[in-house]
Amino acid sequence: MKKLLTLVLAVALALTLSCPAFAEGYSGDLKIWVADAAVDFTKAQVDAFKAAYPEYAGMNVSVEAVGEGDAANKVITDVAAAADIFGFAQDQLARMVAAGALIDVEPGNAEIVKAENDAGSVAAVTLGDTMYAYPMTSDNGYFMYYDKSVVTDPTDLDKVLADCEAAGKSFYMEINSGWYQTAFFFGAGCTLTYDSDNEGNLTNCNVDYASDNGLKALKSMIKVSQSPAFVNGSSISNATNVGAIVDGTWDSDAAKELFGDNYAAAKLPTVDGYQLSGFGGFKMLGVKPQTDEDKLAACDALAAFLTSGEVQQARYEALGWGPSNLEAQQSDAVKADVALSALGEQLAFTVPQGQYPGDYWSLATGLGDRIIAKEFDSADDAALMDVLTEFQNACISYVG
Amino acid sequence: MVDLDYLKMSRPRKLLHDLAGFFARLPGRLGNGLKGLALAVGRCLKGLGLSIADLFTTFRDGDWKTRLSYLVMGSGSMARGQWGRGLLFFLFQTVFNLYMVNFGMAYLGKLNTLGVVETYKEGRKTVYGDNSFLILLYGVLTLFFIAAFIYTWRVNIRQNKVSQQILASGGKLKGTKDNLQSLVDSQFHKTLLALPTLGVFVFTILPIFFMILVAFTNFDYNHQPPAKLFTWVGFENFRTLLSSGSASYGDTFRQVLFWTLVWAFFATFLNYFLGMFVAIMINKKGIRLKKMWRTILVMTIAIPQFVSLLYVSKMFAADGLINTYLMKWHWIAQPIPFWTDPGWARFTIILINIWIGIPYLMLIATGILMNIPADLYESARIDGANALQMYGKITLPYMLFVTGPYLLTSFTGNINNFNVIFLLSQGKPMGLAGNAGHTDLLITWLYRMTVTDTNYKIAAVIGIMVFVVLAVINLVVYNLIPSVKNEEDFQ
Amino acid sequence: MAERKIPEVDIIVDEKAGVIKEVGPQRKLRSKKGHERRTNGAIYTVLTVMSIVWLVPFVFLVLQSFRSYKLEKGGMVDYLLPKTFSLDNYAFLFEGSNFFHWCGRAILVGLACAAATVALVCLAGKLFDRQDRGARPARVGILGACLAAGYALLVALTAALQGFAPAERPVAVLVCLMLFLAIGAIIARVYLKQDSKLLRSIPGYVVEDRHEGAKKLAAMFAEFALLAIILQYILIPMTKSQYLLWYTNTLTIALFTAVLQTAIVLSVSYALSRLRFRGRKLIMNAVLVLGLFPGFLTMITLYFLLKQMGLTQSGAVPGLILIYCASSGMGYYISKGFFDTIPKSLDESARIDGATRFQVFMKIIMPLAKPIVIYTILMAFMAPWGDYVFASYVAFGDQQGYNVAVGLYNWVNTNDFQNYFTRFCAGGVLVALPITALFLALQKYYVEGVTGGAVKG
Repeated sequence: MKKLLTLVLAVALALTLSCPAFAEGYSGDLKIWVADAAVDFTKAQVDAFKAAYPEYAGMNVSVEAVGEGDAANKVITDVAAAADIFGFAQDQLARMVAAGALIDVEPGNAEIVKAENDAGSVAAVTLGDTMYAYPMTSDNGYFMYYDKSVVTDPTDLDKVLADCEAAGKSFYMEINSGWYQTAFFFGAGCTLTYDSDNEGNLTNCNVDYASDNGLKALKSMIKVSQSPAFVNGSSISNATNVGAIVDGTWDSDAAKELFGDNYAAAKLPTVDGYQLSGFGGFKMLGVKPQTDEDKLAACDALAAFLTSGEVQQARYEALGWGPSNLEAQQSDAVKADVALSALGEQLAFTVPQGQYPGDYWSLATGLGDRIIAKEFDSADDAALMDVLTEFQNACISYVG
Repeated sequence: MVDLDYLKMSRPRKLLHDLAGFFARLPGRLGNGLKGLALAVGRCLKGLGLSIADLFTTFRDGDWKTRLSYLVMGSGSMARGQWGRGLLFFLFQTVFNLYMVNFGMAYLGKLNTLGVVETYKEGRKTVYGDNSFLILLYGVLTLFFIAAFIYTWRVNIRQNKVSQQILASGGKLKGTKDNLQSLVDSQFHKTLLALPTLGVFVFTILPIFFMILVAFTNFDYNHQPPAKLFTWVGFENFRTLLSSGSASYGDTFRQVLFWTLVWAFFATFLNYFLGMFVAIMINKKGIRLKKMWRTILVMTIAIPQFVSLLYVSKMFAADGLINTYLMKWHWIAQPIPFWTDPGWARFTIILINIWIGIPYLMLIATGILMNIPADLYESARIDGANALQMYGKITLPYMLFVTGPYLLTSFTGNINNFNVIFLLSQGKPMGLAGNAGHTDLLITWLYRMTVTDTNYKIAAVIGIMVFVVLAVINLVVYNLIPSVKNEEDFQ
Repeated sequence: MAERKIPEVDIIVDEKAGVIKEVGPQRKLRSKKGHERRTNGAIYTVLTVMSIVWLVPFVFLVLQSFRSYKLEKGGMVDYLLPKTFSLDNYAFLFEGSNFFHWCGRAILVGLACAAATVALVCLAGKLFDRQDRGARPARVGILGACLAAGYALLVALTAALQGFAPAERPVAVLVCLMLFLAIGAIIARVYLKQDSKLLRSIPGYVVEDRHEGAKKLAAMFAEFALLAIILQYILIPMTKSQYLLWYTNTLTIALFTAVLQTAIVLSVSYALSRLRFRGRKLIMNAVLVLGLFPGFLTMITLYFLLKQMGLTQSGAVPGLILIYCASSGMGYYISKGFFDTIPKSLDESARIDGATRFQVFMKIIMPLAKPIVIYTILMAFMAPWGDYVFASYVAFGDQQGYNVAVGLYNWVNTNDFQNYFTRFCAGGVLVALPITALFLALQKYYVEGVTGGAVKG
């Protein structure tokens, strides 16, 4: 049965190839992986693409739901069976390039991408001097949602905590995640970045956690964790009794629903005299290496289309994903969005998230877990400095 | 030591004595084992030599039919009228030859380097070079096939020899019908085992062999086929896993191994004794609704673990039902870090595993308890023993005696108990080098190495280490069991 | 201690008027009885507490599956009882058409049909099995009742069909029929304990006899297979429900695995237990050694082996069946242990009578080995429902090949799916129901299997 089908397809393929109208196009199969929420949206946009580019109208595009966190693992496991175009988050970029699972962006498209998207997202899709993916969103950062009736001053973390305590509500922040933790470290003035070569290999680690600034950040985290209002967590749908929560735009609907009329969002507060920072994150579309030039051209065209300004705007309207395209960012609808404006405000203080080794995330989780488990509550500065030094050395050891 | 002294010893001291004895005898046993191994190797070599010699004599004494079979398998059988058998041999040889020429040789030739042709780009198009993974996989497959061919070829020749002898002594050869008939009778085991053995060869032995070889390559995220090549690196991965220092996983390995053993110990013995206790309670005379109690407990076996364990893991989450209710009732101010604190996480896992594990043991113990001769208890009661004494003197020894082997398999099973850890904590909280967590067992660490980190080389080494650990435990226990049995010989 | 004194005092008070001498033994006896009662009381307490602990998570699971993800929240909340009970989560599982609506209708109609049929069957049973042939009027009356019940059935069916589009009617009839068989059988079995020929002819209805287990299993298997066919060829094309697809995949895998794996395991264990041949010890030792390697070690190899055969991603269902069965021969211990207990003399006498080994296997050993056959089938059927690891590794990137475990696991553990907690609960309940029913029905054989396996190692 399958063979018969293949045969029929092959004949159909031969027929369409011989047809002059499609001479430069591509009409075979093409597979796309996007997050579950975006499947229907992507299907609609693919149809729009086919309508706009008749040479690709005969393409058979299938869209499957594969989470952005999962995509990298699955693509790397078996590149041949993976989708031709897939959405993923930028922390996976180096790994995928190193595994040979991504092809560089077509030079013409790369110019356009560079011109049309915000600098952070362009930096995030670039390794060395090569661009490897198409930026799709620029909203993968975090800020603070809060309950207007509980939190009176969202600019100071101490006051936020005090308000929550007084109202018997909780303050949520996932400090045992390497992602949220950097709010403190980067805010206090530390750095932690990795340099990588064009191949995606890490070459150098720039880190100064074992410093006075690092100590300041760690102490702030310990202080926050001691508040009775503190809960380690970052998902509104999993949260209960929220006064304020550090979370991202993907939870804006849940936040609106939870807080109702008291829904509000703001940039992260200050703590101990410094502004909390954090990662700015991006989602992107990647194209896997192809052995067929026509198919590759089709992938390039489709990926460029799916990340163009209009589609990003449409994606915002359909799914609420904040665009990385500069023009789309300036649209009225985006500007009027409470969550996206808060993210925009926070963007000034964030560090675009580069490449981090997988071990970093578990290391950071380990540190956060120890803070939550109150291991450091009575530790003196010297002991804390030892912890930071150990952390820093571990970060460095992941290079090479 | 005299037997009498031994018998006078208390139970724990006996066990200690047995253990000491075991280790004292270990060098001798090892020596014997090595000697046995050497003898076995010698026997093998001798057998091989005889076999080769036999090949020569068969050829020398053989008629043309036999001799032709050396070249064309099955030709001898066909020439002697055994068409079915001959055709099968011939078919096998044809398939083998075609396979080798069209497929096998190419891969076999690249096995020493695992491929040298790099992937490159032609314009924007990618042209893939050698695929190390497929070279290794098909290389191994080809080796297996060659081994199978040699074996079949040898069988083919031996059959020629036998047929020739039968004919020479005036006998008659079996026809195809007789041969088929024997497959449901005297050769029935071949019919029964053919398919299962093939399955095990292709889906167990071949993959294991392949992964053992992977442990000696640098197959990881930076050497991922089809875009990148990987190659042989010798024992480097073993060094990475076992030695300490930065960029090595030695410390992590020791910690994970330690927790694996602790976990297996608790998961086996805690469940064992609690399960036995529950069984005794339910089976006590005068307790009603035995069947209902049993059915309720058995629910945790009946409901698929991915439903029950996933749900329970969410119950214990920081925002799960248990924490939120405890906080609502103001018993605690902050959520208990069931899954985020290493100590708590380990404790919670062992606790929840009781929930899953007791019913199995309860069922097993029920079956065995019913088999204990009632007169043993009767006579004990007449002697004035209380319940506890009866338990210590009769029930426990009997149970241990009967379930000794089960305890071993259960311990082995718990070392590889993937589901409970994976569905409850996924190995979290993290924090050990090599992307391992505090509740990771070797097997869940191996899983993460394979699926999340695509670090196959280290995963392969971990797999081999699990094998080594289990083999050692099994050897030790197997050697101890006879003495355990003697000890429990209560009369 | 204080408790203990009260009866003693009572006894003494009692004895004041009576003979003093008898106080001794009687006291001892009574205090022993009291002791017994107290022990039993303690045991009942412990067992009750345990039962509560054991059942509570499942009760919670069911309760939370009724919390609507639309009206309330689909994530985790700080209360247990849903504010309003709703079937939204279940409806979501069958999303994609108004399937749930007419499924609900079909269930109701099915119930009505079932009730009518039960009445019919029982009456008919009475009619035909009646010993005394004399009571003519009674028979006529019963016949009338039968006709009435049949008429009710007909009316119910027609009414039901009115609600469906013409294209949906065959499906509706099938669903009704299935429900009728299942529910009718259960009701008849539980409440009526009738044992008529007619009753016995209903698949799923089981009479208590020595073939009970086998019949139960066969009936349930038939029903599962019917369900799989209905889902695969009728319901899935009509809806675009992913859950149904996963469910059907799992059911298909489980059914095939149960049959093939049982055949393999029994072959191997029989050969190793009853037949003597060269290499027997070698095979047993090799299996022992191979068993010490962790299973997930070879995952990537198996994936690529399957991929070469085209059995990954959308072909994952046959691929998984192959994986589950291929090496299952290694799990022969328990059934071999059982075969070992069957006396050898049986084989020998049959052999002397001229039976081949195959005939001995099929005609003599298999009938005796029924418990272990049932146990093997049960285990093989249940295992695929819980497999997440291999299933997700083999089927990734293509919903067509997912099983329930993969789909539901993604619902709770992937970020995109945070709101799916209650839907996971509903999906879990629907998975657990048939498996639990099957397991509890065949519990006896499970116990036999694990006990035998544990004792014989």
